[in-house]
Amino acid sequence: MNWRQGQGHGADLRLPLPARLCLLTLLSPPLSSAAPISPAEPISQAYSLALYMQKNTSTLLQTYLRYQGSPFSDPGFSAPELQLSSLPPATAFFKTWHALDDGERLRLAQGAFLALTQHLQLVGDDQSDLNPGSPILLAQLRAARLRAQGLLGNMATIMTALGLPIPPEEDTLGLVAFGASAFERKCRGYVVTREYGHWTDRAVRDLALLKAKYPA
Amino acid sequence: MAVFEVFPTVFFLTLLSLRTYQSEVLAERLPLTPVSLKVSTNSAHQSLHLQWTVQNLPYHQELKMVFQIQISRIETSNVIWVGNYSTTVKWNQVLHWSWESELPLECATHFVRIKSTVVDARFPEPNFWSNWSSWVEVNVQDSLGQDILFVFPKDKLVEEGANVTICYVSRNIQNNVSCYWEGKQIYGEQLDPHVSVFHLSSVPFIRKTGADMYCEVSQGNVSKGIKGIVLFVSKVLEEPKDFSCETQDFKTLHCTWDPGVDTALGWSKQPSQSYTLFESFSGENKLCTHKNWCNWQITQDSQETYNFTLIAENYLRKRSVNILFNLTHRVYPMNPFSVDFENVNATNAKMTWKVHSMKKDFTYLCQIELYGEGKMMQYNVSIKVNGEYYLSELEPATEYMAQVRCADASHFWKWSEWSGQNFTTLEAAPSEAPDVWRNVNSEPGSHIVTLFWKPLSKLHANGKILFYNVVVENLDKPSRSELHSIPASAKSTKLTLNRHSYQVWVTANNSVGASPASIIVISADPENQEVEEERIAGTEGGFSLSWKPQPGDVVGYVVDWCDHPKYTLCDLQWKNVGPNATSTVISTDTFRPGVRYNFRIYGLSTKRIACLLAKKTGYSQELAPSDNPHVLVDKLTSHSFTLSWKYYSTESQPGFIQGYHVYLKSKARQCHPRFEKAVLSDGSECCKYKIDNPEEKALIVDNLKPKSFYEFFVTPFTSAGEGPNATFTKVTTPDEHSTMLIYILLPMFFCVLLIMIVCYLKSQWIKETCYPDIPDPYKSSILSLIKFKEKPHLTIMNVSDCIPDAIEVVSKPEGTKLQFRKSLTETELTRPNYVYLLPTEKNYSGPGPFICFENLTYNQAASDSGSCGHVPVPVNNPPSQLGLMISPENVQKALEKNYMNSLGEISAGETSLNYVSQLASPMSGDKDSLPTNPVEPPHCSEYKRQMAVPLCLVSPPPTENSSLSSITLLNPGEHYR
Repeated sequence: MNWRQGQGHGADLRLPLPARLCLLTLLSPPLSSAAPISPAEPISQAYSLALYMQKNTSTLLQTYLRYQGSPFSDPGFSAPELQLSSLPPATAFFKTWHALDDGERLRLAQGAFLALTQHLQLVGDDQSDLNPGSPILLAQLRAARLRAQGLLGNMATIMTALGLPIPPEEDTLGLVAFGASAFERKCRGYVVTREYGHWTDRAVRDLALLKAKYPA
Repeated sequence: MAVFEVFPTVFFLTLLSLRTYQSEVLAERLPLTPVSLKVSTNSAHQSLHLQWTVQNLPYHQELKMVFQIQISRIETSNVIWVGNYSTTVKWNQVLHWSWESELPLECATHFVRIKSTVVDARFPEPNFWSNWSSWVEVNVQDSLGQDILFVFPKDKLVEEGANVTICYVSRNIQNNVSCYWEGKQIYGEQLDPHVSVFHLSSVPFIRKTGADMYCEVSQGNVSKGIKGIVLFVSKVLEEPKDFSCETQDFKTLHCTWDPGVDTALGWSKQPSQSYTLFESFSGENKLCTHKNWCNWQITQDSQETYNFTLIAENYLRKRSVNILFNLTHRVYPMNPFSVDFENVNATNAKMTWKVHSMKKDFTYLCQIELYGEGKMMQYNVSIKVNGEYYLSELEPATEYMAQVRCADASHFWKWSEWSGQNFTTLEAAPSEAPDVWRNVNSEPGSHIVTLFWKPLSKLHANGKILFYNVVVENLDKPSRSELHSIPASAKSTKLTLNRHSYQVWVTANNSVGASPASIIVISADPENQEVEEERIAGTEGGFSLSWKPQPGDVVGYVVDWCDHPKYTLCDLQWKNVGPNATSTVISTDTFRPGVRYNFRIYGLSTKRIACLLAKKTGYSQELAPSDNPHVLVDKLTSHSFTLSWKYYSTESQPGFIQGYHVYLKSKARQCHPRFEKAVLSDGSECCKYKIDNPEEKALIVDNLKPKSFYEFFVTPFTSAGEGPNATFTKVTTPDEHSTMLIYILLPMFFCVLLIMIVCYLKSQWIKETCYPDIPDPYKSSILSLIKFKEKPHLTIMNVSDCIPDAIEVVSKPEGTKLQFRKSLTETELTRPNYVYLLPTEKNYSGPGPFICFENLTYNQAASDSGSCGHVPVPVNNPPSQLGLMISPENVQKALEKNYMNSLGEISAGETSLNYVSQLASPMSGDKDSLPTNPVEPPHCSEYKRQMAVPLCLVSPPPTENSSLSSITLLNPGEHYR
């Protein structure tokens, strides 16, 4: 169900970003009718989607690395020190994470997946430039972005159901993205695909916690 | 003239003024020094961009100047490049010059200074260099930011084979930096504590997405991060090959070329090379959208000559090729169309086609190719617009394919593509008589003639053969000819003809008509069968046959044979040979090895009568025999045997049987005289005898040893070898004496038989002679005597109760009374020297009287002999005999009293032993106490040999271990103590 919703968003990808955001908002459940909706159902849906996404994150990262050449394609490649300032890291101290209230938890995840969708778009553009002859990688990047968008929609529904304010969408990338060298772009793609996995793992935990709190 | 005189004066004055000016300038020294030197950088191109001005240039003056530029790296004293830049300088002009560094500018600080001199012709020597400008420092590193590591140059685009310098800048000299080029660690030289440089020489093309170089920063074992660059190595742009242009319609020029490798790179770093057409006469150019062809519109009818330049270009290089041509020489016509055939008959047809109109008076050269019957004919013809050509000498009923192509007749450039069409000619009557042969079987009163014919070749049939007509005419007897129409599918027909001569016509017919007739004459006489068959040797290529020419005129010879001689439908083949030939070679693919082919050679007379001349038989390749004969062994004696295989057929073998090999194995090492030693395929040795005559199908193997084991094996051989391997047959010769034994045994057997018959016939006589009947005691006269004495208890001893081998001996020595009971075996009876005594324990408990028995049966005989004083003892008290307790005195008395016959009495004093022995005693109830020795009837002659044995010589009863010859003398008193 949510997957289809994600596909619906994907159909509007060619539109300029503001238009897309508008559409995304329109497709989201109306804010006004927030109160009567039970949060259990959207939480369950979001949880299912997050679990589904979790199955494919590792494949996406491996596919991405395979196409980037050395050192990325070297066996066992890992560079945890590489980070992107525009992308919030998924790692957090457990105590801190556990102490978060529902609203804060959802807000952080929502912000991360919003950044991820934009970054995945950027990486997809980079890769269609670098590896135009690799439809598998491009398809996987596209699928990941659509799922992230779908999860975003689900989270907005949950927040509405819980009566939480939905944070405004903002351009997380800014102007820095375009001057990067080829190597930097490869690194960027690596960080994005890696963090996509980490944030998906975290979202599963987040939603599991919520699911326990709001049983159907 | 005046003008010429004035000019030198003016020139001199001008020069003077200039010199004055120059001297003024130079005197000041500084005015032409380059000033305001500014240096900017382009990191992507690794270039320094200099701009400066020259001070004190005269207003609106231009001067040729040379600027010398010095570039130092790291420090001013380290000059790495010095060069001159010549240019014309105008007043107030800002000068620009660029320098490209091989080292990325971020890697080191650069310093630049400049000086100048005037090289204008208006200022002859001596020239002076200005002072150097002050050093201008170029430092890009400061603007890099605060990252721990930088690698340069970023995303550089180079051509395959270029030398590339790469550097890294590390902020912290404590960090350890390892760099890798395409995954392989490389080591550079340190430019300063923060910067290291790597020189990659002749970089190869690796992939379109670039080659990777990265450096890893680590502190201790902790990775702090990686930084890298992608080096885009492009393939070298190649010059376009096979560039040419041509037109099909004088409206468009179609230019083509072979582009070579595509130099496109990933990340949009370099697109595929572009191609541009430039025509120099018109000055027009066109960017081509395809990489290997481009169309050029012909706009001016008047332009005949074109000069095209094709330019291939990428970011790194430009390549061009040029062609110059006349348009009319590059005409590549379009395909002809509307190809058709008119007036097609059996041998001719008219071909027509059309071509596209070009210019006025344009003439085409057209080429026609005609394919049919596996052949190709080619014709050329010049045409304007409509083409036509008469095709002649065609074969009837044949499918042809004709195609046409055209070119510019005046300036040949290229043929157009082919345009073609098929057509079929009409049928005509067959052009040749069928090849006919016959086989004649003579039967009483008639000939069975089988006619064979070969189907006409397509060339001669001129269409589809529908039927064959066979006309038979009797030559001996005027009658109507017979016509037989045979369907085309048949290849033969059978005729039954009378014993007359016949002439046979055979024709093949198609829809148009009949072929010429083939004539054969069947003679009334039967075929000459007395021709001897000759053997010939074939080869893989076939059989070479030769024959003696037939006397008289012949029109030719025919050789016939069967392709499958073993089958009923033997597939008769024949070959016609010319009249002058006396030999031919029969070669066909159907000949198989190991098959015997029979050839008959006929001569054909002028009257078309065939006469058998010769018969040949042979194999194309002889094979070894396929089977071995079944051999019978005959006449087996101790020294020889005969082997025979008379039913072995030599004719049905896959080769001419030349003889037989007989192998013989025996234990003897040496072979028999006619045999020779041979080694078999399994390595064993044996003896071999060779029979050279294939009809000799028997062999006598002699000189053998009696009672010996032999193995033999008979195999035929052809020129190709022996028959198959098989097991040896085993033969064992009989014993030499066994025959003799038979000679002896057989008569003996008959003799015995004769004797037996005689014995049987004379049995009565023998019985009477050897064993007369024993008299019946009941009928004896003694009974009357007994009755007379009135002894009611006295009985006659029954023979069946008689113990034949036991006697009781009663002895009565003086002074002692001992009783012995003796038993004698039959053997002992026959051997009177040994008497065994068998004591019975019960009865020897005490002394008792002796009893003497007498067999009354032999009474007469015993008394006759007189050798022993037998005393007849009447058995008057049988129960008392059991205990033998009668005292000797009583016995003595009884004897004296009862036996009153005339027998001579023997006194005890004359002999110490007195016994009467006989077969029976009435002690039937006391058998247990008797010896268990076998009881046999005594021999008829033995009775007379009984004799008395003195008591002192009586031996004890034999024990199992005792010897029969031992004699033990026992003292009775001692024995029974």
